[in-house]
Amino acid sequence: MAQEDDIAVYGKRRTMYAVIGLMFLFFFARLFQLQMIYSEEYGRQSEENSIRTIPKEPVRGYIFDRNGTLVVDNRPAFSVTIMPFEFDKHMIDYLSRLLSLDPEFIRDRLKKGEAYSRFAPVKIKRDIDFRALAALEENRDRLPGVDCQVESKRWYTTRALASHTLGYTKEISESQMKVQVDEYAPGDVVGSAGLEARYEPTLRGQKGAEFSTVNVRGQVIGRFDNGKNDVPAVEGNDLILTMDFGLQAFAESLMTGRRGAFVAIDPNDGGILAMVSKPDYDLSTFSGVTPPDVWRSLNDDAAAPMFNRATLTRYPPGSTFKMLLAIAALETASITPAWRVNCGGSFRLGNKVFRDLHVHGGVDLVNAIRVSCNVYFYQVMMKTGLDAWSHYGDEFGFGRLTGIDIYEENPGLLPSTAYMDKRYGKSGWTRGFLPSLGIGQGELGVTPLQMACYAAALATKGEYRQPHIARAIVTKSPRSVDTLTFQSRHIEVSENTWNVVREGMRRVVEEPGGTGGMARVPGIQSAGKTGTAQNTHGPDHAWYVGFAPYDNPRIAVAMLVENAGFGGTQAAPLAGLCIERYLKGRIARYDPPPVTRKPVPFPQALPPLHALLPR
Amino acid sequence: MMYQDIKERVDYKTALIALALVTIGIISVYSATYDARAAEIFHKQVIWVGVGILALAIMAVVPFRLLQLVSYPAYFLSILMLVTVLILGKTVSGSMSWFNLGSLRLQPSEFAKITTVLALATYLARSDVSLKKMRDLSIAAGIVLLPVALIMMQPDTGTAIIFFGMFFPVLFWGGASRFTLVAIVAPVGTAVAALFGTTPFLAAVIVFGVLIYLTQEDRIVAAAVFSLTVLIGVSVQFIYEGLKHYQQKRIATFLDPNADPLGAGYNILQSKVAIGSGGFFGKGFLRGTQTQLNFIPEQWTDFIFCVPGEEFGFLGAATVLLLFMALLIRGVTLGSVVKNRYGGFVAIGLTAIFATHIFLNIGMSIGLLPVIGVPLPFLSYGGSALLSAMTMVGILMNLYANRKEY
Repeated sequence: MAQEDDIAVYGKRRTMYAVIGLMFLFFFARLFQLQMIYSEEYGRQSEENSIRTIPKEPVRGYIFDRNGTLVVDNRPAFSVTIMPFEFDKHMIDYLSRLLSLDPEFIRDRLKKGEAYSRFAPVKIKRDIDFRALAALEENRDRLPGVDCQVESKRWYTTRALASHTLGYTKEISESQMKVQVDEYAPGDVVGSAGLEARYEPTLRGQKGAEFSTVNVRGQVIGRFDNGKNDVPAVEGNDLILTMDFGLQAFAESLMTGRRGAFVAIDPNDGGILAMVSKPDYDLSTFSGVTPPDVWRSLNDDAAAPMFNRATLTRYPPGSTFKMLLAIAALETASITPAWRVNCGGSFRLGNKVFRDLHVHGGVDLVNAIRVSCNVYFYQVMMKTGLDAWSHYGDEFGFGRLTGIDIYEENPGLLPSTAYMDKRYGKSGWTRGFLPSLGIGQGELGVTPLQMACYAAALATKGEYRQPHIARAIVTKSPRSVDTLTFQSRHIEVSENTWNVVREGMRRVVEEPGGTGGMARVPGIQSAGKTGTAQNTHGPDHAWYVGFAPYDNPRIAVAMLVENAGFGGTQAAPLAGLCIERYLKGRIARYDPPPVTRKPVPFPQALPPLHALLPR
Repeated sequence: MMYQDIKERVDYKTALIALALVTIGIISVYSATYDARAAEIFHKQVIWVGVGILALAIMAVVPFRLLQLVSYPAYFLSILMLVTVLILGKTVSGSMSWFNLGSLRLQPSEFAKITTVLALATYLARSDVSLKKMRDLSIAAGIVLLPVALIMMQPDTGTAIIFFGMFFPVLFWGGASRFTLVAIVAPVGTAVAALFGTTPFLAAVIVFGVLIYLTQEDRIVAAAVFSLTVLIGVSVQFIYEGLKHYQQKRIATFLDPNADPLGAGYNILQSKVAIGSGGFFGKGFLRGTQTQLNFIPEQWTDFIFCVPGEEFGFLGAATVLLLFMALLIRGVTLGSVVKNRYGGFVAIGLTAIFATHIFLNIGMSIGLLPVIGVPLPFLSYGGSALLSAMTMVGILMNLYANRKEY
């Protein structure tokens, strides 16, 4: 088919000519401006001087605790960089001697850096000492392309380590580089664990740049355009935590020599007050450069000091789980609080006998919690059934992530009918599993963090608040404090049930015969529950959960001491001291923590790491 | 054959323009890679020039009807390639856009530019299709938007913009009403303005509001298009808020290169110094200090215009501009003299692709536009781009030879 009539076509053609003409008119005018009017100015810049970009590292955001104490600070550190296209590769051996580095390492670094860009400086050594810095400065002329950058490195100011919670920063790895190609250059430092990783984008800040003029030989002769085009680095945002570093340091020293974890939460907002995982390590090992052998020894240590036990371990909770069963039983009207059992020290189901530690005689629900009577709860579990128990377990956040603001977290395991059917087949399991679950043993895995949240929910009569470590972010320009928001939900349980269960927990600590008497805090009524989790690999794990003050709880805790024995003697006293330290600010009678058993030597009894991580 | 015969059958002027540009391109790539330890780039480019000339010759002599016949199949083939590259493609500088065939790397989006023009021309040339009808207009837009969507997923914003730069002149050529043209530009323009901030957004809303008011009698239709424009502008701001930090940063750099001086902004600064310091006569071949000291990373790709600008000065740069202008003028003229309606659309579409490339690339090099990664046709290093530019010239020459056929 033919085109339209000529007049229409020629009209459009004229418009198009005009558009093309206009475009080139602009181009010619601009070329004229650049090459005829300003050519001398640009010529001067280019003939003698050319522009070089020197990246300016931002200062990483500071971290403060709830009382405004600076807990993570920065210190200057000098890093050596090489501009690949200026560098004379014959100088590698010389440079390696100056910096006491392996020449192969420099060669390798340089090669990788060049693959990224030949015009971006490659960092070859971070945090050099003053001797090396001086040697480098003296020999500057012989080392074209070699430069020193001032950076900041992390500096930890308090007595507390809080290793797993704060987390470390580390030079970015090649695999991270692949994901983050826009944001980072090789040699950049990146938050790699804990809060440093979780809040990396906000802590990191923004790189800046200084434009310097260099001569044809590449030597810097001054600032370009008097620094008018420079872009200052933007300091990272600060983090304000909910943690109390006084309590943190106290809890850490209390647990020295033990293996386990301690989590304390403010039940009124879900803010973490302290989070300890032992054994731990010194974060300053990671600021600056981490020698590979240090890194290896931390990673290979059988006691797994890098592993956050507070959020990643999966142990049965033992008797601390009995309140959950009590709530499930009361809410489904499987029993009444007055329902009594005569404990003769054992419980028979079919041909299987489940034992208790003591003969408790006749007990009702409140007192069964107080003395932690297994026989009582075996029977409650049989009456309540797996489904109701599992439902309330889920309500209290077991078997799923709490959503705490660090990446290291394990959902644990809360068996349900669906899970058991899947694991053992529909007919592969019987009610014989139930009594163990009823007392928090068997195929059940919880983290100390989940236990602390459970204690907090008991403290607040069902306000389950998402646990979190950071409370607010402070931005620098414009200066503002942005309070972070977290979720909360209400667990639907009747007032009467709460009262019964909480009274049981109060008696555990406050009444004679309670298993948690060693957690008592002078002058403050508190409530809690002990637990002793059986462990096929070695001695029992000691647990304690609790909250205080009883009428107006301000702290909820979970304490786990691995392979230590009874919860009542090994975990409860430590937890009690921590509660006292927080509520009173000091310890009235500082008896050294009662250690009846020698601390278990480390390389022992810990399940392999892969068994602890989520499947 | 007599000279008159050759002149009648062969568009040698366009061919000479293309060859002149390619020659300048080879010289520039040679200079840009001379001391950058990247000599293999120059060798590859020379091979690609050979392949490109071959492609040009083939496209110039294939039967005109055959070209028309393969338009749709070629279009669907290129869509298929774009889908495949999304799944299998090799990531080069952050986006998936390459096929790796041994040592040859091909970019399907380059191929898709041409086939989209062919398919669009075939559709618009149908006698029962009119751009005055909403349905036909939508189908035409669909033909363009399908490859654009796939290319945006790579993501390759530069190439996607080229498609819009091609579509608009074709619509104009096809007799779309003024209102249609305004209605297409308004949402896109408002969306871009919204990224700059609230004031530019309001300014865009007012300008397009007036244009819509002037071009559309039907107040309901006008109101609908106007609301859509405002809605898109507003939602852009919401979408921006929801983007990840690095995505926001990418957009910010796109809008304001100074926001990322370590990357794009640095290049523009260097580019301006290189071109400006060239003066009227230039510093001489291989004597441009900016070029030879490699201040612009990978100058042989998107910033190639700096090389003639610095080493051959205003004379060199102006020569390049004049050659490009001649190419575009000839393309439009060809579009108007071709008797065949399909041919007219193809000529205008291909010319518009060239024009958009030139506009974006040179505009960026001389610091008038933000950095958008599109190559300069014939000059930039890159096999796929050179091959597609030569193919396009071949098609234009084919149209010229058959310009009198209906």
